[in-house]
Amino acid sequence: MSALTDPKGAIAELTRPEGWVLGVSVAFLLFLLAALLTGALGPTYFLFLVGLAGMYALLSFGLNAQWGFTGLINFSVAAFFGIGAYGSALMTASGSPIAGGFNPLVGLAVALVVALALALLIGIPTLRLRADYLAIASLGLAEVMRLIVLNERWLTNGSAGVRGIPGFFKGWPVLSTFPEAMPGLRLEIVPGSPIFLEASFWQALLNVLLVLAFAGGTYLVLRRAHRSPWGRVLRTIRSDEDLARALGKNTYSFKMQSFVLGSLIMALAGVFYTHLNLYVGPGDLDPITTFYAWVAVILGGSGSNRGALFGGVVIVTIREGTRFLNDVALPIDPAPLRLLLIGVVIVAVMRYRPQGILPPQRELIWPSAVDGGGAPETPDSGVRERKGGGGDE
Amino acid sequence: MSEGALPKDDAVLRVDDLQKSFGGLAATDHATFAVERGTITGLIGPNGAGKSTLFNLISGFYEPDGGTVEVNGTDVTGMEPYQVAEHGLIRTFQTPRKLEGMTVREAMLVGPRNQPGESFLRLFASPGSVGESESANLADAERILEEFEIDHLAAQPATDISGGQMKLVELARAMLAEPEVLLLDEPVAGVNPTLAKKLKSQIRRLNEQGTTFLLIEHDMEFVMDLADPIVVLDQGHVLTEGTPDGVRGDDRVIDAYLGGGA
Repeated sequence: MSALTDPKGAIAELTRPEGWVLGVSVAFLLFLLAALLTGALGPTYFLFLVGLAGMYALLSFGLNAQWGFTGLINFSVAAFFGIGAYGSALMTASGSPIAGGFNPLVGLAVALVVALALALLIGIPTLRLRADYLAIASLGLAEVMRLIVLNERWLTNGSAGVRGIPGFFKGWPVLSTFPEAMPGLRLEIVPGSPIFLEASFWQALLNVLLVLAFAGGTYLVLRRAHRSPWGRVLRTIRSDEDLARALGKNTYSFKMQSFVLGSLIMALAGVFYTHLNLYVGPGDLDPITTFYAWVAVILGGSGSNRGALFGGVVIVTIREGTRFLNDVALPIDPAPLRLLLIGVVIVAVMRYRPQGILPPQRELIWPSAVDGGGAPETPDSGVRERKGGGGDE
Repeated sequence: MSEGALPKDDAVLRVDDLQKSFGGLAATDHATFAVERGTITGLIGPNGAGKSTLFNLISGFYEPDGGTVEVNGTDVTGMEPYQVAEHGLIRTFQTPRKLEGMTVREAMLVGPRNQPGESFLRLFASPGSVGESESANLADAERILEEFEIDHLAAQPATDISGGQMKLVELARAMLAEPEVLLLDEPVAGVNPTLAKKLKSQIRRLNEQGTTFLLIEHDMEFVMDLADPIVVLDQGHVLTEGTPDGVRGDDRVIDAYLGGGA
């Protein structure tokens, strides 16, 4: 019962899922490494997958900043992702029906500004109302955006999509010519299965560095923002908005900040996707992207940035891993199997670990205040994992 | 309590001719009263008298159909709850609000108003000032938890403590918001007698230190012992107000409670 004996148990309980995640991740990496070395997995394709994982991690970060932090229900992840993708594609592509040909940094800026405007447009009327209204409006927004992209050919090329998109580093010194400048390499680590590293590999490597920069920067921003008085108000709103209002917090403003921040991160994922895939089409705005982001956040643990990262990687693994099932004779098509698998994962998480695999554990208190000796006896983690206990009077 | 010592017209909260109807029912019917600075004012009345509606009107959660609310001489009628709070009026809720996924310490730290760290930009532009205010607030929170003798709960999940402890935490958190006037909605409802006694002595102590209280309470013994003056509400209007003894002896009050004709 006493507070002294419990934290230890809490830490033991907590490290289990963490250790589990760590173990599985290491095993998975070793598996990928083996596949790489034996040539079963092409290094360029592998880097493409890492890029995709980073992209999904960004989408999950974005949704986590809205749903996980504040409890905002946003069903238009795909729309903001699409804004980012199309925004930068239309500004930079040679095949763009409008402007086109701009530096990718201009595309990035335009995409973020449009996403900001759209987030405000949808947030202003709905964020003063009950949570359900944002959910409904965002559902509508996603569909409207998809139909606009599909039908407004003068703007988006319609169903043909946008081609001729340059890499993100086009026009940069050194980096723009880096892939071509690098020599082709032939590695033979496992005898008999050589690995070729050509320009496409170096290009893919650049993309991975780009997404690492995007996702890493986002992670650092979110981590600082969440473990602060700001993040604490968001968590209060998520739990009980009236209480936050009664304590003098302008909850509308906080919700708007959280919504805009999340939307910008989603658009950032879209910008990266554009320069990774070098083609965007209306299919990129399909609701499945929204669905994947939700699965990733719920799976990882709502409110936890690490969880969102983990969830994003799991999504890519399931999405891309099932492609290999094409080679295996199966009684059913792998595509529906993929959705089935994700469904099973969600049901299992809800049943056995409703808080997600890596739920948030830290108290949302500014780190320097805690480290400064404010609360030395408290474990930094695991407080929330405990069950029961406590009710002594 | 120290009513006589203070200038008579120093009202920290003034409710004037306040009205609110739901459908055809006048839940608040031309209610007028004032809470003098430094008092513990009790608000009593039978079930359905409109006490909670009145609290919601005062704190900005409902918009009144007519009348005015003044806090510290400022007209706050029609303002958002957070704006009313910014003017120094803090309220608690009848059922304690559970903050999921928070420890008691975290829940406490939501209390202080206008923290520098509540500005997103400042988290990055001046992290130093955020850290300073956070350390100060953390120290305040721990001091107040100690004063309330619940510092052993600091690291507990805020959802795991008992209902009575939750009421104590709510009161403690409200103090971190440094209210000019604190509205307590049934502070001892569902609280065991030991904790109720503790709450009473805490309210009295805070009052002596300068906080003004307006409290709704059904526990007559509690409110009569603690509050002076007492405002009696019936069917949305103020029936009478006065000292506990005066109110207790008032026939109209007895009628209202016993449902006699009036």
